Amino acid sequence: MRRRWLTRSALLALGCAAVLAVAACGGDDDDSADTSGGGGAANDDVAAVVDALGGSAEFGTPEQGGTFRIENTDFALFDAFDPTGEYFGSDWTIYSNLMLRTLVSYNFSTAEEGGNDLVPDIATEIPEPTDGGKTYTFTLKDGIKFGPPVNRAITSKDIKYAIERTAVNKAALGSYSNYYRPIVGIEDMEAGKAKTASGIETPDDKTIVFKLTKPAGDFPYALAMPASSPIPQEVAKCHPQRGEYGRYVIVTGPYMTEGSDKLDVSSCGAQKPISGFNPNTGLKLVRNPNYDPSTDDTSIRQSYPDRFEIGVNTNLDNIFDKIERGELEGSFETPPNATLKRYLQDESIRDRLRINAGDRMWYMYMNLTTPPFDDVHVRRAMNLAMDLEGIQRAWGGPVQGATPTHVLPQSMIRLDDYYPFQQPPFSGDVAAAKEEMKQSKYDTDQDGVCDAPECKGVIHGNRNFAPWSNQTAVIEQSASQIGVELDSRELSRSAIQIATGEPKRKMQTSSGTGWGKDYADPSTFMVLFDGRNIQPEGNNNQALVGLTAAKAKDVGADIPASGVPPSVDADIDACTALLGQERTDCWTTLDKKLTEEVVPWIPLMDATAIDLLGPAVTRYGFDQFGTEMALAHMAVDPSLQK
Amino acid sequence: MTTAVGETVGPAGAPPPEGGDAIAGRSPRQLFWSRFKQDRFAMAGAAFVLLLVVVALFAPAIAALVGHGPNDLYQRETTDIFGIPEGPQSSFWFGADNSGRDVFIRTIYGTRVSLVVGVVATGVSVLIGVVLGVLAGFFGGWLDTLVSRATDIILSIPLLLFAIGIVAACSTSKEGCLNGTLKPGLGLVIVIISLFTWPYVARLVRGNTLSLREREFVEASRSLGASNTRIMFRQILPNLMSPLIVYASLLVPANILFEAYLSFLGLGVPDDQPSWGSLISDSLSSFDTTWWLWFFPGLFLLFTVLAFNLLGDGLRDALDPRANR
Repeated sequence: MRRRWLTRSALLALGCAAVLAVAACGGDDDDSADTSGGGGAANDDVAAVVDALGGSAEFGTPEQGGTFRIENTDFALFDAFDPTGEYFGSDWTIYSNLMLRTLVSYNFSTAEEGGNDLVPDIATEIPEPTDGGKTYTFTLKDGIKFGPPVNRAITSKDIKYAIERTAVNKAALGSYSNYYRPIVGIEDMEAGKAKTASGIETPDDKTIVFKLTKPAGDFPYALAMPASSPIPQEVAKCHPQRGEYGRYVIVTGPYMTEGSDKLDVSSCGAQKPISGFNPNTGLKLVRNPNYDPSTDDTSIRQSYPDRFEIGVNTNLDNIFDKIERGELEGSFETPPNATLKRYLQDESIRDRLRINAGDRMWYMYMNLTTPPFDDVHVRRAMNLAMDLEGIQRAWGGPVQGATPTHVLPQSMIRLDDYYPFQQPPFSGDVAAAKEEMKQSKYDTDQDGVCDAPECKGVIHGNRNFAPWSNQTAVIEQSASQIGVELDSRELSRSAIQIATGEPKRKMQTSSGTGWGKDYADPSTFMVLFDGRNIQPEGNNNQALVGLTAAKAKDVGADIPASGVPPSVDADIDACTALLGQERTDCWTTLDKKLTEEVVPWIPLMDATAIDLLGPAVTRYGFDQFGTEMALAHMAVDPSLQK
Repeated sequence: MTTAVGETVGPAGAPPPEGGDAIAGRSPRQLFWSRFKQDRFAMAGAAFVLLLVVVALFAPAIAALVGHGPNDLYQRETTDIFGIPEGPQSSFWFGADNSGRDVFIRTIYGTRVSLVVGVVATGVSVLIGVVLGVLAGFFGGWLDTLVSRATDIILSIPLLLFAIGIVAACSTSKEGCLNGTLKPGLGLVIVIISLFTWPYVARLVRGNTLSLREREFVEASRSLGASNTRIMFRQILPNLMSPLIVYASLLVPANILFEAYLSFLGLGVPDDQPSWGSLISDSLSSFDTTWWLWFFPGLFLLFTVLAFNLLGDGLRDALDPRANR
């Protein structure tokens, strides 16, 4: 008995010790207790501070050499790092800045520094279209070779092969193969009616001709996407499954995956994944010996470091602790709010925080085929009732982005003083929301509160981690004021992406969804509302705008009793054919139509892109294309690294 | 008829010993209580569990007294411009969370989830485990083989992966899974926990039943013409009560912890039903700065599990004193 008493006493003591230790840990946190909202940057005009932290920056003299180290909570993957279907902005930045060259590219700078303008990369120049805007002819530069182990010069056929690959890749079909659909023959390939695209001609190794079905003013932008980068068929043909080529990527840029030179390409059976990339642990890049800087331009790629290490660390706090200590140079993740606050309040370290336009919108879609969101009055009422100021606060405040008033980000379509629903400070206009709800068939007694059973238990998906999870309560409370009772399901990033991307699941709404532009043209947002892009899996038109009865059958969605959802397909086609200011005006009109008449979303956050830099970083640039730090222009001082 | 714990208090009708006071006969319940009340840690555990039950029952009243509901938002009062919530203060004793909700009230409400999951899941596990364990142990043969292999299979399933799969599959549609049988929430958490804990009970019961069915009192019942059902549930089952009570009291804290794990991973109850696991999970993005988000729910979780474990230890000592020898 005595021994048991001793054991129990020890157990109790252990418990108390743990409690005391925990209390001691927490007790010295004066900073967290001082969260009244006053003091330092909190009382300053945060927006002004944020503006001053944009653009490229130098911290000393950038020099060649060193290892640039990044960690992220996961290696964000859409298609297993296969450039044909990979769609994450961070992966595009890695490809375009470091690994893969395309016919045209960008200078990987901010919009103000020309980062949205196309520049020739593999091509000798950007050609003017001929044949009424339907033909583009590119000439390839000399001296551009594939990295080891392929080691041969790239040809126009490698580009044709890469683009044709998007027509048969399941992931690309759901994402950005639509950018290549204007090419004659691509849609036939997608439908399995053709094995090659007749609209891509390669009269010789240095010439590639694109013939389009109709003029598309933005077509050259599609040729800056990583999917159009040359792919050697002798390697990729061995990996026909979706995403499989991601472990065998052969580079054309200044860096290659470590171990690429060990890849045996003598036969398909001999190929084993390149050792320097593992989706679970990260990517290691070393210099590509076949890269000839004279074929490139330092305004595009400066390529300072000798090596890049992009690792995985599931502990977000630890990542930013390591950055502060000089054990890392950066991360694609957004710093925790407490870290942001500290850096913004401390002028001595503030410039290590870089904040740029994210060209991305976080939104809460409403599925137009599922009640009660098949009624536009409910959708409008939701926009009116939503406490967007509360959502911005839950997100981390103005530093994380601005409250949007329309579907497209301000960097895509600038609409000043445009308030179709709420007025500033956007804390929810419940009275107006109730007036709108009164017009809905789901408010049978017309008291401004939805009383139909369709408004109860509305499935609302969200991500199960901050900042998204912080908003769930705000969204639920806002919706409940007009009688829409949300049943929130918080899931992992990938689970939400899968669930919202499959129309057959009929998820009614989700606030865990966002979109970044593919290039600096509003069309790259409008693809989200193109009914022809609705896919059974990986669907990005979650609201199902433009769904037809036939398409509904294909993807497992229902057409509601109220009829097919509204379509803007014709509007998209009309704008796509235009150029210049006419095109901008057309997209602006469509943006307003979507915002006010179709109402597929509640735009939640017009987000910024935030980078925190380690003390060893001597040069920083921002890539407006991938909306991440411009790896092509980053430099590091190894003597300052830990 | 045998007694529950095999204790005897002297032959019936025997005269009292000479030269002393008469020895009073004590029932097994009295024996249990006399032993249990001497165990101060067990008594403290029982008192804490009782306190938790009171807190859980009166959570709405406490919320009304404080003036904050578990899902009421006080975002503008309790978070700064960076969305960072305030720590403990006079009007928010345990501070506020990232959405501006009162952590004290949510922690109090979390008691309800923990107790309901702990008790109900344990009850379901014990019920399934007892029925299958007694049947397997008593009848043996193919039934025993079937139950034993079923327990082996279930115990070999990776529990967390299974839970993640079920929740992910059943969370994304209004209908849930299996025609609405499985929907995310408290019920699904209880089903998952029960599904994976009944085999332990079944194994315990089966082993004891195998031993008990050979005992003399079972032989006696059988010779008097008692049916199998009567023998199982009137003769064997009462003799299983002691180990079952002890095991169940230890299973409750394990199940409470398991619910906390699931909720921590975002696989438990919905956000509008506060759970200690999900409250702790909310602190992940700011673990070191908003310490109150994990400290107070963690404290409740720690002391609750400790209390149930102390209670279970005490019950074991009181119900089965031979275990100490």
